[in-house]
Amino acid sequence: MGYYISSLTVYWIIGSIAGLGLNLQFGVAGILNFAFIIFQATGAYVAALLSLGPDTAFGGFQHYIFGARLPFPLPLVGGVLAAGLLSLIVGAVGLRKLRRDYQAMVMLVISVIATTIATGDHSLVNGTAGVALVPRPFSSLTPLGPTAFGFAFVAFSALFLLITYAIVYRITESPWGRVVRATREGEAAAAALGKNVISLRLTVFVIGGMIAGLSGVLLVQFIGAWSPPGWYYQETFVFFTAIIVGGTGNRLGVLFGTLLISVVIGQGSTYLPQFGPTPVFVASMQWVFIGLAILGFLWFRPEGVIPERIRRLLKQP
Amino acid sequence: MTSSAEAAGDTTPAPIELRAAGVTRSFGGVTAVDRVDLEVPRGQCVGLIGPNGAGKSTLLNILAGAERADAGRVLLGRRDVTRLPAYRRARLGLIRTFQIASEFSNLTVLENLLVASPEPALNSLASAFVTRRWRGPQEEALEQALALLKGVRLEEKADELAGTLSGGQRRLVEIVRALMSRPKILLLDEPTAGVDPGRIHDVENYITTVRSSGVTILMVEHQLEVVNRLCDSVYVMAEGRVIASGSLDAVRQQREVVEAYVGEA
Repeated sequence: MGYYISSLTVYWIIGSIAGLGLNLQFGVAGILNFAFIIFQATGAYVAALLSLGPDTAFGGFQHYIFGARLPFPLPLVGGVLAAGLLSLIVGAVGLRKLRRDYQAMVMLVISVIATTIATGDHSLVNGTAGVALVPRPFSSLTPLGPTAFGFAFVAFSALFLLITYAIVYRITESPWGRVVRATREGEAAAAALGKNVISLRLTVFVIGGMIAGLSGVLLVQFIGAWSPPGWYYQETFVFFTAIIVGGTGNRLGVLFGTLLISVVIGQGSTYLPQFGPTPVFVASMQWVFIGLAILGFLWFRPEGVIPERIRRLLKQP
Repeated sequence: MTSSAEAAGDTTPAPIELRAAGVTRSFGGVTAVDRVDLEVPRGQCVGLIGPNGAGKSTLLNILAGAERADAGRVLLGRRDVTRLPAYRRARLGLIRTFQIASEFSNLTVLENLLVASPEPALNSLASAFVTRRWRGPQEEALEQALALLKGVRLEEKADELAGTLSGGQRRLVEIVRALMSRPKILLLDEPTAGVDPGRIHDVENYITTVRSSGVTILMVEHQLEVVNRLCDSVYVMAEGRVIASGSLDAVRQQREVVEAYVGEA
């Protein structure tokens, strides 16, 4: 039981970190990044490759490029930087010259291309099977049992949630964040006031991508494995749903939405007894719930459970 | 209406603040703007009029950098800005408003104005992490913004979301927001469009105040009586070309202008 609780808490925390990154892009800057999950995957894969050692280890049962066994925090730093670099490349191509709806389509296509490459080329990150036996951080120093490790990881990941929250708070509530929110409301109007909209959006895209990368690093270090089914394009919509349900543009809304969508509906359903006409009935119903949640909130409460705060700058009477 | 230079008895022609030279823009087979030459002298208010589809807004978009010209040049003062994107022209003092009010709806009125401030500390990501770097500049910008809002009697609305204002109020917010950017020249695209008749006078008065403060204005406007009251001279466009220019009274007498308007009716 302790292990389940700690696992769900870790999923909530890491999901919240990722959600804060996507909320910065979508909720604050208005970027429809339908490729968000690939930046989480990049962080996860790079952190795995930087901590697994050469692929001849463990009898050479998995194949991947550039295996190194680096100590903490280098895999984490590498994962975050790699996600940031990929964001820069994808953003520089995908966020220019196109209308927002077309940008969203480009992102979706990029997400599909990324999974296709990762699954198609087995020498990159071990194809469909993915990478496994990824070492835990500090595992050589503190060999812990599963439950103790789970709770230790709750604290470990919570520290990164706090750091991420603080960074996102600083950015969003600053004058610079206000300018970014203005670009969300009207790109042409912001440009007409001297704001370099492409640069602003690209910057937010990279910061959000690095946060996604961080969430991937933490996730792979917790689970110990990472494979394509965990980052198919539809996983991005779990984060979008969490944000829309919680409250687009609201950080606390992200935490609440992640708890409800990613943990209760997403992870919680995996602990339900299997029933229904097919073996995947429960897992399929999870997607139905997520779809209904998006539709329901967009129709009846688009501002979400905790709406974006109105920043009143004058003292109220 | 006379320019401030003329009022002072100075007969030297005002330097040209904004100039279009041979500007052309086509969409498919349609030439929306056809070899347009236009000059806006410093400190003056120039009207750009013409029937619907004449190419006025396209020309304004080209001048502001929102659209590229196929041919021709745009000069801001002596600087050729033809290849500069909109945001860089804005940083040089060329600020425009839009035909449809373009307030940032989910930001408060005050936030709308603060966004426009060119103050570096309010536009830097690095400053975002050091509150004391932007706190002072923000207080100064707040004071400036409140003074501007007071000028248009909107200070009571400062903390309300801009999207909740009436059409006329949103127009005024857009104009005072443009002023926060410290413009040399304002391009106003139909500033009275969508404004209820009772508020048009407020918009006009404010444009007069802005112009009196030394800001040059180029204004697209359909209501000729508004143009008559505010502008020193006008350019008339029809089918992408400038067909007349000069004082409104003078161009009204020209056959081509009458035909362009009557033809539209």
